[in-house]
Amino acid sequence: MKFRYLFFIFITLLISTLLISCGPDRLDDYSGDSYELVNQNGETVVFPDDFEGNPVFVGFIYTHCPDICSFITSNLKKVHDELDSDDDTQFILITFDPERDTPDVLKSYASAFDMDTEPYHFLTGDTETIDELMRRVNVRTNITDELAEKSDQDIYFINHSDKILLIDSRSRLVFDYGGSMTPVEIFIEDHQKL
Amino acid sequence: MKNISLFATLLFALLFAATACSSDERPDSSQQMVDGDGIEIEGAWARPGSEGRMSAAYFLITNFTDEDDRLLSAESDVAQNVEIHESYEQENDMVGMRELESVDIPVQSTIRLEQGGMHIMLIQLTRSISDGDSFELTLNFENYGEVVLDIPVRL
Repeated sequence: MKFRYLFFIFITLLISTLLISCGPDRLDDYSGDSYELVNQNGETVVFPDDFEGNPVFVGFIYTHCPDICSFITSNLKKVHDELDSDDDTQFILITFDPERDTPDVLKSYASAFDMDTEPYHFLTGDTETIDELMRRVNVRTNITDELAEKSDQDIYFINHSDKILLIDSRSRLVFDYGGSMTPVEIFIEDHQKL
Repeated sequence: MKNISLFATLLFALLFAATACSSDERPDSSQQMVDGDGIEIEGAWARPGSEGRMSAAYFLITNFTDEDDRLLSAESDVAQNVEIHESYEQENDMVGMRELESVDIPVQSTIRLEQGGMHIMLIQLTRSISDGDSFELTLNFENYGEVVLDIPVRL
């Protein structure tokens, strides 16, 4: 009787282990990281701590970017629209241009895309924190000065990585995508694997 | 006779499959066109953007005239500067953007201004534009002259 009981426990543990290992491989673990940022409403947000417990899609943008970043933004909205209405996945867009992308600017940008309420979070922060975060998630940027002389305002563009991440509810990176070109169906399919 | 019928059926099935597959393919940026008149613009749209920031407009240009042409510039009161730009891939999975002086539109061809490629860049929007809005954009061609478009804004 005791042997059968132990055998039952062993099989249960084995199946549980197999089920866990069937999930997607983890590419990185951000659970030990912590970045104090500010959302489009001027509220302090700690990334990724404040989002633990929910899957999170994270895109990286700057609001002076007319082409690639608008597709990254739009892609995340389309993914949200495809998920069930009661899904608790959060959608974060973090700027790598914090000097120009203040909370007010991000709020205005989010409004233009009809994304200025939860589950969308547009985040900025101080330059040092943003730089550190971008290094951590392997988002590379470099400023071009092509338009500097064409306006009295400080206009410049940024060459940058084109990236969206899918982070699981335990702040572990599970998928790393080309942000603007990845079809929405791929995001949905991977999200269902979590 | 039976073999000929079988062969004909197989041939028909192959042709049908090939047609079905090809219907999903996107046309090349220099697709040959046969029907139309002058310079025609199709599928125009632009991204939302907030005042003072950027947007981009996209469309297909088809040259049905009997001479090569060139898109020289674009104008709109929706932005302080309107330029022809191109996004391109750099090393290390980075993307960059550069201004183009013009876009060649060879005779009887279609040129695609699209996401991640050539686009009309709207720099420093004079007003916010959201899904459902529209604005006027004028394209200036070297030979054909002006083409005025009403560009819908969508996500």
